[in-house]
Parts: sequence; C-alpha cells; structure tokens
Amino acid sequence: MGRDTQAVSGVAEYGQQVRLIAGREIICDRDGFFWDPHQWSEEVAMALAEEAGMKELNETQWRILRFLREYYFENGRSPLNRQIKEGTGISLMDLEALFPGGIKYGARRLAGLPNPASCS
Amino acid sequence: MKKVSLNVNGTWRQFIVEPDYILLDLLRSDLRLTGAKQSCDRRGQCGACTVIVNRKAVRSCLTKVASLEGANVITVEGLGTPQNPHLIQEAFVLSGAVQCGFCTSGMIMAAKALLDENLNPSVDDIKRALRRNLCRCTGYKKIIEAVQLAGLFLRGELTPNQVRPDPKQGLIGVSHPRPSGMIKACGVAEFAADVHVAGSAELAAVHSPYAHALIKTIDTSVAEKMPGVIGVMIAKDIKGTNRLKHTVPDRPILCDEKVRFIGDPVAAVLAETRDQAVAGVQAVKVEYELLPVMMNPEDALAEGTFQIDPDRPNLCYVQPQIRGDAETALIGSAAVVETDFSTQTNHQAPLEPEACVAYLEKEDGDLPTLVVIGRSINIHFHMGMLQDALGYENIRYEEAYSGGQFGMKVDVTSEGLAAAAALHFKRPVRYIPSLTESMWLTPKRHAFKMKVRLGADARGKLTAYAIDFTVNNGAYTSNGKAIVNRALLMLSGSYYIPAIKAMGRLVYTNTAWGAAARGAGAPQVNYALESAVDMLAAKLGIDPLEFRLMNSLRPGQPKSTGRVVEQWPLPELIEAIRPHYDRARKDAAEFNLKGSAVKRGVGLGTGSFGIGGPGDTATVSVELGPDGGITVFGAAADPGEGNDSMLTQIAAHLMNLPMDKIRLVTRTTDRTTATGPAAASRITYMVGGAMVDAIDKLKTTMAEANAATAEQLRAAGKPTRYMGTKKNEDAGPLDPQTGQGPSFESQVHAVQLVEVEVDMSTGEVRVVKMTTAVDPGRVINPKNLEGQLEGGMDMGVGFALREKYVDGQTKDWTSFKFPTIGHSFEMETIVRETPRVKGPLGATGVGEMTMVPTAPAVMNAIENACGARVRHLPATPDRVLQALVEAKR
Repeated sequence: MGRDTQAVSGVAEYGQQVRLIAGREIICDRDGFFWDPHQWSEEVAMALAEEAGMKELNETQWRILRFLREYYFENGRSPLNRQIKEGTGISLMDLEALFPGGIKYGARRLAGLPNPASCS
Repeated sequence: MKKVSLNVNGTWRQFIVEPDYILLDLLRSDLRLTGAKQSCDRRGQCGACTVIVNRKAVRSCLTKVASLEGANVITVEGLGTPQNPHLIQEAFVLSGAVQCGFCTSGMIMAAKALLDENLNPSVDDIKRALRRNLCRCTGYKKIIEAVQLAGLFLRGELTPNQVRPDPKQGLIGVSHPRPSGMIKACGVAEFAADVHVAGSAELAAVHSPYAHALIKTIDTSVAEKMPGVIGVMIAKDIKGTNRLKHTVPDRPILCDEKVRFIGDPVAAVLAETRDQAVAGVQAVKVEYELLPVMMNPEDALAEGTFQIDPDRPNLCYVQPQIRGDAETALIGSAAVVETDFSTQTNHQAPLEPEACVAYLEKEDGDLPTLVVIGRSINIHFHMGMLQDALGYENIRYEEAYSGGQFGMKVDVTSEGLAAAAALHFKRPVRYIPSLTESMWLTPKRHAFKMKVRLGADARGKLTAYAIDFTVNNGAYTSNGKAIVNRALLMLSGSYYIPAIKAMGRLVYTNTAWGAAARGAGAPQVNYALESAVDMLAAKLGIDPLEFRLMNSLRPGQPKSTGRVVEQWPLPELIEAIRPHYDRARKDAAEFNLKGSAVKRGVGLGTGSFGIGGPGDTATVSVELGPDGGITVFGAAADPGEGNDSMLTQIAAHLMNLPMDKIRLVTRTTDRTTATGPAAASRITYMVGGAMVDAIDKLKTTMAEANAATAEQLRAAGKPTRYMGTKKNEDAGPLDPQTGQGPSFESQVHAVQLVEVEVDMSTGEVRVVKMTTAVDPGRVINPKNLEGQLEGGMDMGVGFALREKYVDGQTKDWTSFKFPTIGHSFEMETIVRETPRVKGPLGATGVGEMTMVPTAPAVMNAIENACGARVRHLPATPDRVLQALVEAKR
C-alpha cells in the first residue's frame, strides 16, 4: 500500500472493506473498487496512483479518468473498452499501457468507479 | 421414416419423421411454436409441454408424431394472440396466475381440455386435470382461481372487462395485469431455448461422475471424429482466468486439474445437433485419480484431512457475533432450551433448464461483441465475471425471459460454457442442458447444522441466545460468505434478545456448491430460532402466540447486530393473526376428539426479513420521451416476481401517465444501469427507490424550467434523462470479532399459522391450511404480492416436508419430490400496510420473507398435533415416526 493508503477494517473477500485513502475513510469492495463513486476526489486518485507505482498522473491519464466518471454518471455503468476508445480517441493498446493494471483494474479503480454489485 | 398428416392450429401439414420423433420437438424445432416448453428431459414429469391432441391434453414430450396421422393438434399459439387472446389466457393474466410463465402454456392447455368438457369444474376437478403440470412460482392457488375464472368467462357469466381493473381506480394498490403477462400466456415470450440463432451449433458437456478426483488425461480424439462434431473444448482452450469469480476465483468454467463435486464440468462438445453433441460427450474419455471425498463439514474439518481448495482451508470463513454476556445470562435464566437442528441441501427448482445462447456479433473496426443470452438476474455483474474468465472484454449480456430461479441465478452457470464455446469455435452456440445437467450446473441452498441454547426468565422474557452454525459451502465459494453474514444479520429474527453468542462457519466439502436460495441463510437460522421459541414457550407453560408477542422487538431496541430499529410492525401482525389462531386451535381440538389415527395441530412462525443490506446501492435512469412517455433504464431482472408491474405502476403513478406510456429497458448490459441483482428481495425497495429518485429529479427540473414536454425541456437547455439513486448509508463490514455493525435499512414482517394433519401410523404430514399475516409496507400490486406469498408458502412447505438435493441421486423432478397441485393447500393472506419510512411510496419487499417462517411453523404444528419434535429437515414420514418414538420416551 502507498503512503496515503491503508486498510482500516473488514475482510476483503467478504465484500466490503474500509480503507483510509488520502485521509478519507472509503468503503471499497473486495477488489479495491469504490463502493460509492461519490467518495472519490482527485486527491484520492493521486493516492491510489501512488499506490499503483505512478508518481503522477499526466493530462492524458486525467482525461481518461474524467471520461470514465462522466460516462458512469450518465449511464450508470462503466464503459466497455470500445466505448472508451470512441470517447477518447485513444487506441486500446495505448489505453491499456496508460495505467498499471490496464483499464479495468487500473483506470477504473483510479476513477473511483464501482464494480457491479452482487449480494455478497 | 413415416409420412404423417396432422392439423396444427387449424392448418393441415405433412411431415416425414423418424418413428420415435416426438411432438414437442416437431412443434418447437420444425414449426417454431415454442409456447410448449421442455423441462423434465422428456420424461412427462412437468407438463410444461402440454398441448391438446384430439380434444385431450397430452404431454407432447411423450407423444410420437408417427402416431398422430389425421390428428388435430392445438398449441397455446393456436388459442389466441396478445392482441386477441383466448378467454382462458385472459383469465390466467387477470388472476395473477402468470409469474415466470414457463409452466403457463402447459397449464392453459390442460385447463382448456378440462373446460372443453366441463365448463364448471370443481376444485377437485381442476386439481385432477392439472395433476401432471408443475409450477414452482404460484403455489397453484391462482392457477386454480384462473381456471375457475375462465369457466365464468366461458359460461358468459362474466367478461374480462368486468374483472380488469379500471385505470380510474389508480395505479398503486391495484392489481393491474403485469405487462409481460399476456405474451407469456400466449406462448410468445422468448425464453433462452426459444431464441432462434441462425447457423447455431449445439453444446453438451462432460461432467465428472466423481465427487473429488484429479484429472489425469482427457482423450477427445474419438469424439472429435464423431458425426456432426465441430470440436471438443477443454480448459486450456479458455483464454482468460477460466475462473468464475463471485467472491473468490475458485470455480472453473471447465476443470483443469481436479474435480470437486459430482457434476463438475470437464469438457464440452460442440456439434451440429444436440444429439450429436451428446453422442460426442459419451465418446470423451477422462482418466481420473480419485481423491478422498468429504461430503459433510464434519469430514472436511477432521484433523489431517485433505484440503479441497488449494488456496483456502476447508474451514474457509468464520464470523462470530457477540452481544452482551450470553453465557452468564443463560446460567441465570429460569428456563433454557438446548438442542440441535439441521436443514438439508436443496435445489431451488425453477422449471426452466439452464438454457443459454452465445454468439459473436460483428462490428466494423472492432473486435466482435460476444453476445450472451441467458437467465441472469445480475447481467452487469455476470458480464464482468465472464470478461475475466474468458479473457474477452467486449461482451453484451441480455436477459431472456426466465423460467424462475429463486436465487440460483445469482451466479453464472451455463453461460460460462456457452460463451467460451462461442469464442473458441467462432460459431453461434446454443447450450440447452438437460434437467440433470442443469442441477449439476447450478448452486444449491446451503445445508446448515445448528446447535442452539435459548433462555428466558420466569416471566417468559428472552434472556440470551447462543448458536453455533456450520454451513456446508459445497465445492465452491460463490456467495457462501454472504450467506453466513446474512444469517447473522437476521439471527435474532423477530425478537429482542439482550445477549447473543453466535459463531458461523463456512466449510468446503465435495458436494454441490451453495449460493443464494430464497431467503439465503435466513430460513435456515430462523427455523432453529422459531422452533426453539416454541419449545421454550412450552417449557414455561406460555402460549406460543403470547410468548412471541411478549418478546417481539420494538422500535428503539437493537437487533443482534446492535443496530436499533425505527419500525417493527410485528406485534400488530401477531394480533391480526390471533383470531385465526384461536379458530384453528378450536378446529384442531374438535378434530382430535374423533380419536382417529390422524391428529391435527396448529403451529406459528414469525419472520422479520431484512431488505436493503449494508451499503446496498441502486441506480436507475428515466428519460422523458417526445410522446410524453417515460423510458426506464435499469438492469432490474424479472424472473417472474412482477418487477415489470412494480416499475411500470410506480412510474405511471408518479408521472400521472397511463401504464402503456411507460417503457422498460431492463434486459441488456448495453443500455441499462448496473443496478444490482434481482436478489435479496431488493428490487422494489432499492431499484424502485432509485427510480422514484430519478423521477423526482425529472419532475423537479420540469417544474423549475416550466416545461411540460421533452421538447420544452430541451428548449430550456435541460436534459431529458435523469439518474436516480437509492442507497443504504449504513455501509461497511460487520466487525470480525463481534459481528456488530451495519444492517438492513428496512424489514418485511410476517406471521404464519399452519394447520397440519399427522398420520400417526405412517408419519405422513398433510398441510390443511396456511394463513400468512404480512406487513410489506405499501402494496403496489396486491395480486403480485399474494402470488409471492402463495408461492413462498408452497416452497416453504416443500422445504419443510419433502424436498432435498442429494448429490448423485437427485436427477429429475420425481427424485426431487417437486410439490404438485395435489400437495397444494388452502391459503389465506392478511395484509397490513405500515408505510416504510425510506421505502418507495412506503413499500419494502416480500419475495423471500414468505418462506422464512414456514418450516418452523410446520414443525411447531407437527409437535402440536402429535408431540413429536422434528429437528432435522425435511420432516419426511420416517423422521416423523422416529420423532414420535423419541417423544414417547
């Protein structure tokens, strides 16, 4: 975990865990995805980026994160890769390389998008 | 071959067929008349394929076409259309007899054959005529009422318009026919096996005959050369993780190294026809090395035993719950009941097999979209599971009409195999597993073993409850951890119990894997608690109704999680059922004066079922259309409960629109919000709540912009589409040491009164009547509510008395002991409507609670009848007789 992130409570495999990220207690699912996308902030994204080994987020990466969040709040779901490509004009190969963990486990997590929930 | 002429729905046709070709296949495959359904592997056990041949109802799966020269065949499609339905189809829809719709065509055709002969049948006549037709959703009550209503229509004593609710009656609390009802009654709603995909090939799977074994070799060479076989797929052909991860990545689409239960899939054969695929399966040779088998938690927890999952111990999850000092409180109690209970592994038993379709949809410039059409109740979550397991991201999941599921479709089943095959072979794939295969592919209700101690003081006030429960997780995790937690979240049931000491354990075994099943943990622990409550009341000499009333939780008191409740309208329900209880006790006493070998008894059970779990969140979008109508976007699955009614009636009510101006987009991942599963009784409360929020936003904006139409909204620079959210702010995990913490936002409550007759000589138990008093908050559609209650009572009695799933033995509806219309009983429903503070229009949910109190109420009634306490479900005649012997000691 990065300097600004730590587990607070919860059994990750069960479903919900509370993590301290950039000074905020944030509820995440078992894979570290946000439970509530409204708990996200740019500071939180930066802390998660650092945790993922990124020293900073460049403008292209921010553009991707903003696109993901706008798409989510308009459609109530995360975009598929082809929709990210259409929305940003960046090739899938370049998109995958932009974030450690790729789009699904990198960019979407940094953007604070929740995974689809189950009764778990 | 034989040439046969027959008249189908008024048209003469000629067919040249093999001697053993059956009518069901002719109708479905050759004529594309898919109203007649296939459930029971063509064994004549379910009646879903019933059609009329020469004025008689026949099971088309048992009828050879070669025997039908000159016959007159009528299918459900020959009765009427949604635009011009037959009176029987009208009667089924108006009676609320159509839920999932899978059995409906067969029921309607059996009813028509009866009514053609007898326009005024008695209930016994109806039960006799429909004795071969199974239904899992309705408890048969509304089906019987539908046939009676159809008789009234056909006799000219009533018309559909006299029964159909007038829109002027309003939209809330009125039983408007559900929007999907008529297409189901006319046999034109497309379930997965009804979807026609041009050029599709058929899949069949090789399943393990062993409960635990290493896979040494898989020889596909012979199968690959079989006629019609396109290829054989094994684990290495799947490019992703090959693990269907619900909570942990432990369940393979195709097993690679080992199998963990009887039925685990090992290979899949794709062929031009299903018969060829099945033949190919027989030719695949798998060499296994047998491993130690652990069929129950005791064996799996024995010292030095074999570890089933390579990454997790057999005891894969524990969660205690501690509140106060239960041990001290029990020592100081005036009376303590100490005993043990167990519940069985059970199949949820939807009629529809695990049918699924998958194909690649080409799009210019991109990877093709893998389209999966299946029975999911959580299409976005399942799409994500498939993406990882298959290593393919561009997926669209579409929910077909679904023939019931009752929790089992909380997880991916056949879709994994079908989707993997579509990718691997680049062919459209239909996977229509047999009933036996469907049982292997699907999760089961978890078996619980429970040791309990329940104490009370001399006045009868509960003092403490201690319970150790062990859950047989089966071979894979799925949502087993949630089952343990849900059991703890609802551990104290309806009551205020000051001190709690509980421990829940989840254990891997080599049995079928467990997952959600109506109630999901609550029916199991509530069976123990409600049984112990009756035993404790008897020990203290207090009437069980008074005991329950005295100990009911009240607003301001905490549940076992420590969360204090704001609303708890259970005492009012207990009072509501009191006159029925008094009447039933009197009837039983009079009955027992006869001194026959059959004894009558009366039992009570309560249930308080949580809805809107910790942190639960739902999102729904609504859009105002150019015609003034509203389109609702949200993946709210509807496998039969009537979620389409709920969304449509609430939206129409709030927008002051007729119901036909409400359009639902719920079935595809490409156009819906990811709003969570149609599970945990959450759709009305959570998804309905999110829709109400979205409509509020739309209406507020319209008012602020002084806009009455979409065009005026746009002219004012405002969007026409709004997203709403419903969230339980009480979020986060239970404390791992104390089990205290976030809980449900709302509860639905019920009290059930069961009247049984026990044959003292055979141990046979007959349910005479069940009365349910329920408070689900504000009722949106009374017939849909009753339908859930009645189906749940029937399912609860099946769970209590008959049903179980035994690995390697339960293979069809007969070995499962599926409750028939002959087992159906009188049902009465009492509804109280306490508006829920945070519910949409004051509503909560009802689908699962309806069977939570049932099993203990039945067991309490059995003891009341004959003095025998059955502590292990199901209460089969041999167990009742054994309990009688123990009672005499």
